[in-house]
Amino acid sequence: METRVEPEIGLSGADYDYTSFYYFSSDDPFAILEPYSEWWYNRARPNGYYLLAQPMSTRAQPRVEIEEQLEKQHLKLLNLSSYNYLGLSYRPEVIAAAKRALDQYGLGAAGSPILSGTMDLHLELEKELAAFKKKEAAMVFPTGYSTNVGLISGLMRPGDLVITDQYAHASIVDGAILSKANVRFFKHNKAEDLEKKLKGVTGKKLVVVEGVYSMDGDVCKLPEILAVAKKYGARLALDEAHSGFVYGENGRGVAEYFGLEDEVDIHIGTFSKALGGMGGYIAGPQILWNYLHGFARARFFSCALSPAVAGGVQESLRIVQREPQLRKRLWDNVAYMRSKLTEYGVDTGESTSQVIPVMVRNDPKIFRIAHRLQRSGLYLQPIVYPAVAKHRSRFRISISSTHTHDQLDEAVSILVRILREEGILV
Amino acid sequence: MSGKNEGLVQYHFRDAIAGFFEFPTENARAILPPDLQPIEPHHGSSVLSVMAFDFHDSPVGDYGELILSILVSPRLEPGQPMPRSAFYPFRLATTTRESREHAIERWHLPHYMQDIKIGWERGDGHLTIHATDRGASVVDMTITEHEWSEASHRYQAFMNDEEGAYTSTIVMEGQFSENEEERGGITIYSQAMTDLLTDWDVDFTPFRELWMKNGLQTFHPLKTLASYARR
Repeated sequence: METRVEPEIGLSGADYDYTSFYYFSSDDPFAILEPYSEWWYNRARPNGYYLLAQPMSTRAQPRVEIEEQLEKQHLKLLNLSSYNYLGLSYRPEVIAAAKRALDQYGLGAAGSPILSGTMDLHLELEKELAAFKKKEAAMVFPTGYSTNVGLISGLMRPGDLVITDQYAHASIVDGAILSKANVRFFKHNKAEDLEKKLKGVTGKKLVVVEGVYSMDGDVCKLPEILAVAKKYGARLALDEAHSGFVYGENGRGVAEYFGLEDEVDIHIGTFSKALGGMGGYIAGPQILWNYLHGFARARFFSCALSPAVAGGVQESLRIVQREPQLRKRLWDNVAYMRSKLTEYGVDTGESTSQVIPVMVRNDPKIFRIAHRLQRSGLYLQPIVYPAVAKHRSRFRISISSTHTHDQLDEAVSILVRILREEGILV
Repeated sequence: MSGKNEGLVQYHFRDAIAGFFEFPTENARAILPPDLQPIEPHHGSSVLSVMAFDFHDSPVGDYGELILSILVSPRLEPGQPMPRSAFYPFRLATTTRESREHAIERWHLPHYMQDIKIGWERGDGHLTIHATDRGASVVDMTITEHEWSEASHRYQAFMNDEEGAYTSTIVMEGQFSENEEERGGITIYSQAMTDLLTDWDVDFTPFRELWMKNGLQTFHPLKTLASYARR
């Protein structure tokens, strides 16, 4: 007999969620598997989780095709879910560069970056990145996740303090845990809470924040947070996963936007969002590169970034620099979409970026609304607890420079109609 | 209606409120028996639950109860339903001697040995309790409401005393509201009842607020545990 998930009683459909299956005690590590599968297949999936991770059969462009997982229908949808902020993942020049690299180097690097996996292409990419970021050096990581894990666990040690925003990405949290340093969280974007938690702390301190927070689309209050970090002698690392290559006059991120590039100690970013590839980087002083080369275990115990991806990302980086109009088009689209949503009274929370949450704040209803949106032709992901707080469920719109105003109008029309029919919007 | 049904003991309540507060895991571990693991909403932060009941029909009549607990990993038992969550009450206080003696004898709950008083103050969308011990404030806590729906939740409680270690399933049924809007709050006063809390770094805004009203709490028969060591 296996442990079972209790049959749903009453009207509350939210008795179990992912968090229910994380902590458990038993004599058998497999004891959780059956109840989890029962929940997943009998409750979570049919009630809405089928909307997540549906396989796409096209590029991540404004119009995509997916294989819907409830009734196995092939759907053509207007895409507002991809991170492809500048549409670079399918730019012909990027694909061509990736193909050239594939031809020259093969599919994989076939080694760790500290042994045989470093190719001249990786070093070229690092050099171009460092020049772009106006820093002495840049280091490439195989994923965005491994970038934060490698950096934080490579630099911080037991007894140190890593302090980060409560909404920080899992890679920051996991890096801090792996470092075995003391970990503290300050209230989202609240410099005064950061100060409360830094006050009186001695020893090495690292503050890690994000440029744009991915669930809310709000921008880091960098000037205030940086001032507090400096006041208490803490180093500051800024993860520009969602803000890199789109914020700032030259695309150097929120740090450039605020004019604080020299004050930020460590610049972090990913290739998987605006650059349309995968991987991550840190940029900063050469001595940081030297140290992390020896101690960022998440990097040197991974195979180096695929040369094909490195080649494509290198071309994306060049496009970002020679085509500032891409950013202009993105921000034009963001302003257009925001004005349309505001016109209809759609609640977009605190967002000021290209990540625009549509706040539904109704956990039981959001999956049904998501289903209806999809059947009406819109590809929009529902975000629910525990990714966000209870009753702060939302849809997350990701705007791209490649959307047309007609497409954004179409999206707003579908969204507003269904939100009104569902009583979310009056 | 109260009574027993195949070993079940039922307690009717007007209101039951709880606030979940983050506090350092090292503090949680200092209180928990070694085999109970605190759950962490954030790395290094465990969950202190402050809960208050206003019972109106029970085997020991009307009474109020204030419970300080730590949320822990539930223990999965083959064939048994999964609990929604599990907790370890480390200090309880009630408003009557009879209810205290009942809880100690029947459920092995770790009681504060003075009668306390609990004042319930209803506001617009919130409920505030003022718990006092011989005239001195112990805890003031405000919990806010969200949308209400019928709910039935299964919890698991772990207890220990001089005689042994125990667990019980507790089912809570009633009108339920839960939110993470961070509108509630707590003041913990330095008193004997709260002596384990006053030096802690507790976040005084609950990250989750729970409220059940017009409900029924059902205790399932106590089970003796051999697996966790007594402190």
